[in-house]
Amino acid sequence: MNTTKRTLISLIAGVMLFGMTGAAWAQDTVNKLASESVIETIKQRGVMRIGLDFFVPWAMRAKNGDFVGFEIDVATKVAEDMGVEIEFVPTAWDGIIPALLSGKFDVVIAGMSVTPQRHLRINFTDPYASSGMLIAANSKTVPGLTRVSDFNNPNITIGAKRGTTGVDSVMKQAPLAKLRQYDEEVVGMQDAINGTIDAYFSSSPVPERAVASSEGRLYLPVQETFDGSIESFAVRKGDPDAILFFNNWIRLRRHDGWLQERHHYWFVGNDWADQVDVK
Amino acid sequence: MRASRGRGKTLRWGWLDVVLLGLIVLVGLYLWRRAAAEVFYRWDWSVVPEYLVYQNPETGDWRANLLMHGIYATLRLAFWGTLIALIIGVVMGCCRVSRNLFLRLVSRTYVEATRNIPPLVIIFVVYFFVSSQIMPLLGIADWVRHTEGALRTVIEVSFGPTALIENFLSGLLVLAAFEAAYFTEIIRAGIQSVEKGQWEAGDSIGLSRFKVMRYVIMPQAIQRTIPPLAGQLISLVKDSSMVSLISVQDLTYSGTQVAISTRKIFEIWIFIAVVYFVICFSLSLVSRWLERRMGRGLQ
Repeated sequence: MNTTKRTLISLIAGVMLFGMTGAAWAQDTVNKLASESVIETIKQRGVMRIGLDFFVPWAMRAKNGDFVGFEIDVATKVAEDMGVEIEFVPTAWDGIIPALLSGKFDVVIAGMSVTPQRHLRINFTDPYASSGMLIAANSKTVPGLTRVSDFNNPNITIGAKRGTTGVDSVMKQAPLAKLRQYDEEVVGMQDAINGTIDAYFSSSPVPERAVASSEGRLYLPVQETFDGSIESFAVRKGDPDAILFFNNWIRLRRHDGWLQERHHYWFVGNDWADQVDVK
Repeated sequence: MRASRGRGKTLRWGWLDVVLLGLIVLVGLYLWRRAAAEVFYRWDWSVVPEYLVYQNPETGDWRANLLMHGIYATLRLAFWGTLIALIIGVVMGCCRVSRNLFLRLVSRTYVEATRNIPPLVIIFVVYFFVSSQIMPLLGIADWVRHTEGALRTVIEVSFGPTALIENFLSGLLVLAAFEAAYFTEIIRAGIQSVEKGQWEAGDSIGLSRFKVMRYVIMPQAIQRTIPPLAGQLISLVKDSSMVSLISVQDLTYSGTQVAISTRKIFEIWIFIAVVYFVICFSLSLVSRWLERRMGRGLQ
């Protein structure tokens, strides 16, 4: 064997060896990705941890202290289908994305609307619900308005919950109006009833429910929802398995009608009202 | 009664008292009427007892509900927070007056860093960066989740629901570390307020520095620090509401949840204010009693 031949053979062997390790590396990466998925963590722990905050009727506390709401039904059903137990981790809305990122819970199921800004930090699944904005306006301070654009007026003060799509909606629809942000929706709505602010922007059905119980102090200027949004589960980035799992779960539960039925129960019907003592 | 005992004067109703009291009542009534006219709100106090204890309509059993759990959580935070803060505070306080430069530097840095950063920022930094690294390493959450029987009951009574134990511990540590900085300064001032002669007297009978501290200085210092410590303790109870930001289900956060669900904001917040007042006021009473008792012991 001459030197050239020997060099050639070792070169080929080297390339083959390198190629094989390359393939092995790829295999490793795939295995690692799968084993590090949050789905795997949930299965091993036997418990799924859900991050959520309280919005009527997405998530509430019933009279007996239990969690109730559309969100709770969805999360419970996911856990049931996975065969694991569920733990709810109520978290203030402002801190919910940082808490997800730092691993305080596995997934956020909290009626979180998909926005490009949020998507830059976390991943969203396919939407499992959609909603739209409505306005509750004070009947004395701003009577007789019928269009969303009527609220784009520097003399009008509008409230919305901090960090929600309500704030985005006010800035988009009524950039001239004064915006006041609230930490709690009930407080903002009470201000609208008292006339401290003129209107409150929120996702349906919060405004309708407030108007219905306000004895004419509030009215709905528009009947059709606007600034529609889609709500999805949120998971940490870099976890394709989790996205796939939840996407297919959502597809399945929409196809068999379960999601629509639950959504109708919480958002259209009012049978649940006495569970939370709303009089 | 107390005033008469203290200064030898008797309290008597004068015409000024009647006028002042009448004025206060009038202003109160005016404000109430204004509020009733301006604010549209349907009061319903039944929401408070209902969320305090719940009776199962089928079995008739009573059990603690959300607000009661919130009160327990706040009491737990106050209890453990005080204990840990006192330990850190005494140790750091002694370091502040130590003859060792390193110890003085460490304690000074701790106090200044903690006192001069807003507590909210500390809470977030510790919770999101420090505790999210340390807690999983310790494996507390997994360990607690698999405990059973009596041990689990003990843990639940001391630290609350096992599912949220990491949050509780993080919140507790932040709260204790934060308040301990103030405790440190109070203890330091207490130690330094003891006259130099006491140190010298201890030295002259041949006690070691530690023994002088333990038997001569500390008993006097602690008695002097009780009033400011009690004040700081009351702050601790009120500051504990801040940890609701990191999912600790204390009284404030439980109350918020009930207020959102039932839309009865005023009743719930008034109730929460009353509970905080009762807790803090009883602490004041205990500190007064303790102060008088220790004062008697030293005379």
